Amino acid sequence: MKRLFYSLLLIFICSCPARAQDVVAITEQTIADIFEQVTAESDEAIDYYSFYEDLMFCARNPINLNQASREELERLPFLSDIQVENIQAYVYQYGPLLTMYELQLIEGLDMTDIRRMIPFVYVGEARITNKKIYLVDLLKYGKNELYFRLDKGLETKEGYQFLPEEDVNSPQTNSGNYLGNQLYHSLKYRFHYKDRILAGITAEKDAGEQFWGSTHKGYDFYSFHAQFNKVGKFRTIVLGDYRANFGLGLVLHSDFGLGKSSYVLNVTPRNSGLKKYSSTDESNFFRGGGATIQLGKFDLTAFYSNKMIDGDTLNGAFPTILKTGYHRTLNELDKKHTVNQQIIGGNATFTNQNFQAGATFVHTLLDNRLVPDKSVYNYFYFSGNKQTTGGLFYRLRWKKLNLFGETAMNDQGALATLNGCTFNPVSQISMVVLHRYYSPEYDTFYASSFSETSRINNENGLYIGTEVRPFRKWKFAAYADSYKFPWPKYGIDEPSLGTDYLFQSDYTVNRDIAMYWRFRYEEKQSNLSATGAVMPVVVPIQKTGFRYNLTYSVGSFSFKNVVEGNLSRRATANRTYGITACQDISYKFTRIPLKADFRYQFFDAVEYENRVYSYEKDVLYAFSIPMYYGLGSRYYLNLKYELNNHLSFWFKIAQTVYTDDRESISSGNETITGNRKTDMRFLLKWEF
Amino acid sequence: MKKNRLLLTMLVLGQALHGQIATVIPSSASIAMTSVADTHSWSAFNNPAMLGYTDKPEFAIQFENRYLLTELSTKSIQFALPTGLLNTGVSFSHFGYSLYHEMLFGVGFARNFSDKFAMGVQFNYYTAFFNASNSYHGAFLPQIGLSVRFSQAFSSGFNTFNPFQSNIQTEFVIKRLPSLFSIGTEYFFSKNFIWRTQVDKEVSSNYRVATGFEYQMLQNFAFKIGGYSSGYLIPCLGVGFKTGAILIDLNCEMHPLLGLNTLAAIKYRFGK
Repeated sequence: MKRLFYSLLLIFICSCPARAQDVVAITEQTIADIFEQVTAESDEAIDYYSFYEDLMFCARNPINLNQASREELERLPFLSDIQVENIQAYVYQYGPLLTMYELQLIEGLDMTDIRRMIPFVYVGEARITNKKIYLVDLLKYGKNELYFRLDKGLETKEGYQFLPEEDVNSPQTNSGNYLGNQLYHSLKYRFHYKDRILAGITAEKDAGEQFWGSTHKGYDFYSFHAQFNKVGKFRTIVLGDYRANFGLGLVLHSDFGLGKSSYVLNVTPRNSGLKKYSSTDESNFFRGGGATIQLGKFDLTAFYSNKMIDGDTLNGAFPTILKTGYHRTLNELDKKHTVNQQIIGGNATFTNQNFQAGATFVHTLLDNRLVPDKSVYNYFYFSGNKQTTGGLFYRLRWKKLNLFGETAMNDQGALATLNGCTFNPVSQISMVVLHRYYSPEYDTFYASSFSETSRINNENGLYIGTEVRPFRKWKFAAYADSYKFPWPKYGIDEPSLGTDYLFQSDYTVNRDIAMYWRFRYEEKQSNLSATGAVMPVVVPIQKTGFRYNLTYSVGSFSFKNVVEGNLSRRATANRTYGITACQDISYKFTRIPLKADFRYQFFDAVEYENRVYSYEKDVLYAFSIPMYYGLGSRYYLNLKYELNNHLSFWFKIAQTVYTDDRESISSGNETITGNRKTDMRFLLKWEF
Repeated sequence: MKKNRLLLTMLVLGQALHGQIATVIPSSASIAMTSVADTHSWSAFNNPAMLGYTDKPEFAIQFENRYLLTELSTKSIQFALPTGLLNTGVSFSHFGYSLYHEMLFGVGFARNFSDKFAMGVQFNYYTAFFNASNSYHGAFLPQIGLSVRFSQAFSSGFNTFNPFQSNIQTEFVIKRLPSLFSIGTEYFFSKNFIWRTQVDKEVSSNYRVATGFEYQMLQNFAFKIGGYSSGYLIPCLGVGFKTGAILIDLNCEMHPLLGLNTLAAIKYRFGK
């Protein structure tokens, strides 16, 4: 009764009532918040698609908060571990939620968090979720979607400019050019029945790859997936392409692993088990099948994968696994699918109310030996054709502390361990502390977890993050990370160390106006001497960054302004700077089902050290965080038109103009003559 | 081998480790050494004003092991005696080993003025053994402290150690003694959760900026987390146990270059 009274009271007094949110806007903002920083620091391409699709799927199949498992709540990346724990603890302690407004009574959730959650969750009665599935239901309630996407650059790149007749005496030939045309296109079919059955087919051709000719008969990449959830004793069955994520990612985590971002409390990857793979990323997935069976409080998982991967093989050995997925030239085609990779693995997890523990192992077998070109920094990288890795993980709630960790070891005996705790000492404050130690000798194929770099090895550090909500409209977040690389890294020829600080304050004026300030300082080390020098000289690099972000909406218009700058200094050299500013305008037409987004952005970052990244809106399920380096501007127009309930179109045109007197953009086959780069993108979605 | 390691560590300590302002001044049990505004605990050779808040006699010993080298450890002992007029404290600290060691003796007096503010003064005698002359040399160093309570939840503290920058001059060498100024704040988010900040400036070193949180999770168990920066970022963790009149603090900090620094303190409060 008391709870009902408070709930009703809050409905009346709450000055920021929750209202239906633009799912796409929330999803895009979440991805931007999490990935912008990661993109700037990662040396690998990041697959946003799976992340985007998972969130959009949640929006279409909202989670019942009264029935949600930890794994289900963890699908919402903006919720921290503490918030997930608190939601579950609240439902356990006080019984099912009566209304969404009751979320305000849960510790650690503010209005911003609740607004973000609303499109993805609901409050309802507990239902039986593993009912038998009948074919008639599948046909009647199953949803089908078809996506066709087309991209094209307007300027002709060097790789497409064929010489009319090859001159045998000329150093220029056509042999290194792209075999296909400039079009990128992909076709995706998706089927889902609630969250019980998910299936789909993906086909993709990158720009420069041949679609029909001597090297290709159709698309370059095909993918099929099927996932069945809650089928009898089986929690999950996956067939075709899939991913596996267990523990904290030290053994097996093929999805993107969370790291340092303005979500300072969300630092460890989530234990999501087996899940379908539907992205167009051509490398980071398993192909085969797997199943998770639930036996009381135990979940037992087994999986197998067998697929061909790319590598430059010679005499039964290859130096590195190629992950770009590009097969545009004869040279790239020679390396396509040259190595067979078999993976077998398993996991056992015990889950209790306040305790979870599990064990994971994975064994990989290659039919060629992986032999990296040895140098000092990669001295401990894996070499061979067989690898076994295993690990134990735990999660324990004790009083207000949530303790978690994972310790893993490979067959060389090298160790990696990650341990931490989150806690909520008072309702306005949440904290996390995380220690990691990854031995230089620990190098495994599928690890992805909290780390300064994208590799889980050769690192020792401690991270402390805190989020404070002292007043209703304000939120402060900060982290400090201190780390050490005990062995040389790529670009740092000595053992080195670094520190990283972030401070962000968010101010939500009302439903229509929000802003944040972000300050970041980082110091790490880098080679001053040439890589591989006999007497390396390593110097510190300091980078300071600032960002102001303002979003506001008036009627059908919404606006966003961003000003961002950074200062960088290498050793005792002068400081260099980079700045960017952008204005976004979005307008939703009231009489026609059209939405338009426009951006104008200016950037001035002459030195590469001062490069800036900023995310931009795109067609559905596409997402870009381009790097800006040099002097120039960029603008784009992004349109979405819903023809009817079944058909929708997206179209985007973007142009970058460099004003720093450059005569060409990019290099090699990607070279564009001139100072402009224009891209067009089209997407068609058909729901039936 | 151990000698080489010790010499190297001493060299790095001397040149790079600005955070360890003066090794003979014992670190406090407050997380990240944020003791200048810690109204709950008086630490030897830290802010003497905090002696003014002591309401029962107490006795404490402390051992700090720097980077797992016993030669770099600091040992200290303190005793506080509150009286109606003035609270009195006696403390002693020792750093080093037989060939090189420093000692610090102190007698302090402090008074709490109606719980609005407290002031303290301490008279310290510093002495060090110089192997070159095979003798001890010393100097008197004053210390002054202040603590102001702006509200039940918020207070600030100030401390200066050796403000007149006294040094020791021998026949062969001039030994510079630390001259330290500290200012800090303490904020109670709740009765069980405290946030402290502190800025230190030793005249010839970098600023040291520190912050720390102490969370009294259970009646007899506290969890501490913090960090400080002075050239390097040094994260700190700690726990506190309380059983009757005995308080035990275990803190550690991870220097990215030098490694682990650990501290253990036991305090006995009479009449609790």
